[in-house]
Amino acid sequence: MTHHRAYAQGTVLILVGTKRGLFFLTSQDREKWNVEATTLKGRRIYHAVLDQRDGCRLFAADNGDFFGSFLRYSDDFGQTWQEPEHGIQFSPDSDQKLVNIWVIEPGRPSEPGTVYAGVDPASLWISSDGGKTWEPNAGLMSHPTRDRWEPGAGGLCLHTIIPDPSNASRMWVGISAVGCMRTDDGGRSWVFANKNTRASFLPTLYPEFGQCIHRLIQHPSRPNVLYQQNHCGIYKSMNAGDDWIDIQQNLPSEFGFPIALDVHHPDTLFVAVEDPEARHNIGEQFTVYRTENAGATWELLTEGLPTGPGVRLGVLRHAMCTDAKDPCGVYVGTNTGQLFASRDRGDSWHLIADFLPPIYSVTATALG
Amino acid sequence: MDSPTDIPTITVTLPNALYARIGNRKSVSASGRTVREIIDALDQNFPGLRFNLCHETGEVRPYVSIFLNRENIRSLQGLDTPVFPGARMHILQSVAGG
Repeated sequence: MTHHRAYAQGTVLILVGTKRGLFFLTSQDREKWNVEATTLKGRRIYHAVLDQRDGCRLFAADNGDFFGSFLRYSDDFGQTWQEPEHGIQFSPDSDQKLVNIWVIEPGRPSEPGTVYAGVDPASLWISSDGGKTWEPNAGLMSHPTRDRWEPGAGGLCLHTIIPDPSNASRMWVGISAVGCMRTDDGGRSWVFANKNTRASFLPTLYPEFGQCIHRLIQHPSRPNVLYQQNHCGIYKSMNAGDDWIDIQQNLPSEFGFPIALDVHHPDTLFVAVEDPEARHNIGEQFTVYRTENAGATWELLTEGLPTGPGVRLGVLRHAMCTDAKDPCGVYVGTNTGQLFASRDRGDSWHLIADFLPPIYSVTATALG
Repeated sequence: MDSPTDIPTITVTLPNALYARIGNRKSVSASGRTVREIIDALDQNFPGLRFNLCHETGEVRPYVSIFLNRENIRSLQGLDTPVFPGARMHILQSVAGG
């Protein structure tokens, strides 16, 4: 008998994409959590997201080790999955082949059928019918500098997509290791938006492109304000990416992958900077870092997070998120399978799941 | 020109991970004169199966092994390997990892 999966309104659902499958964590109070495995098991789930703009459609980036990568969607909370009728596949004459699907981003509230996806090799894919059919963005595919783009350690991946909710023609994408790019004409053309961000691994410290951007987020009410965690720094832009301001300040490292913010108090941001060589917490204390003044100063958040000579935890680019509650919940997954949660905007933390496969992504949604 | 009766029909066995793609079966029949044509025919009947087996650029995925009568097609003529009546094709996922 099929169990019909249903959740009460207000339930916080965390989608946890791992190296070996997709997991759900659910809670009514953000204190007691229920962990469920899904039917997407054994696959590398780089990202998953619940789209509540028009119903409740769950999308997952399912990267198989053997038989290809597929975007899948489910309308029954992951009990059954559908494949697009025309999925993310390059044209046979394009000389490109899909490596991994990195991110799925629902479009603006004003375009409920539109969904975006970012993949390796770096390209932006668009569906206008809720995920049934997909086409690549031609402007990015034919960008005049494309043959000079170089991959980062994770591949030549387009991992972040921000459709500007205030401007239907504007969007930003983050590509490793190309940098931040912006379109102001609905995707027909793209410009680099990397001024003042470093690429210390290249001969030129401040190139036009070639930066290894790791994650990019937008201020929820000031659309020209962006933040990014880069391979080489943490930055803020006040002008839609025209230039960037270094906000590392007192952080002990410039290197990290994720960045998240509190939507009700958007000068409050969270990062998880790491030792850049070892790629885990600095010293023996696993730490999340918070600013409450948009990057002027940072504080260490450690209450409830593990410490000791064996603590060596890393956090990947999509493995930290906040929920939309106030005070906001913060969720951090590690590349060794621990999921930590705070329901008081980072002041204190609890381990809410352990022994998961390496965590690639976490997204939290309060069910409407 | 070949008549339809000249085109071999063979049995193709697939790995567990692809049973759902072919209607929760283990094996199916397909017709073709080469491995490529067999895959074309499989994709006609089970849309998406070719993408499971081959990249968009045409070559077989690196961790997919196709055996024709116990010979890996990589050591024959690849996708152009001829198929003869009565042959059996096995599609396997390669050993990957330790």
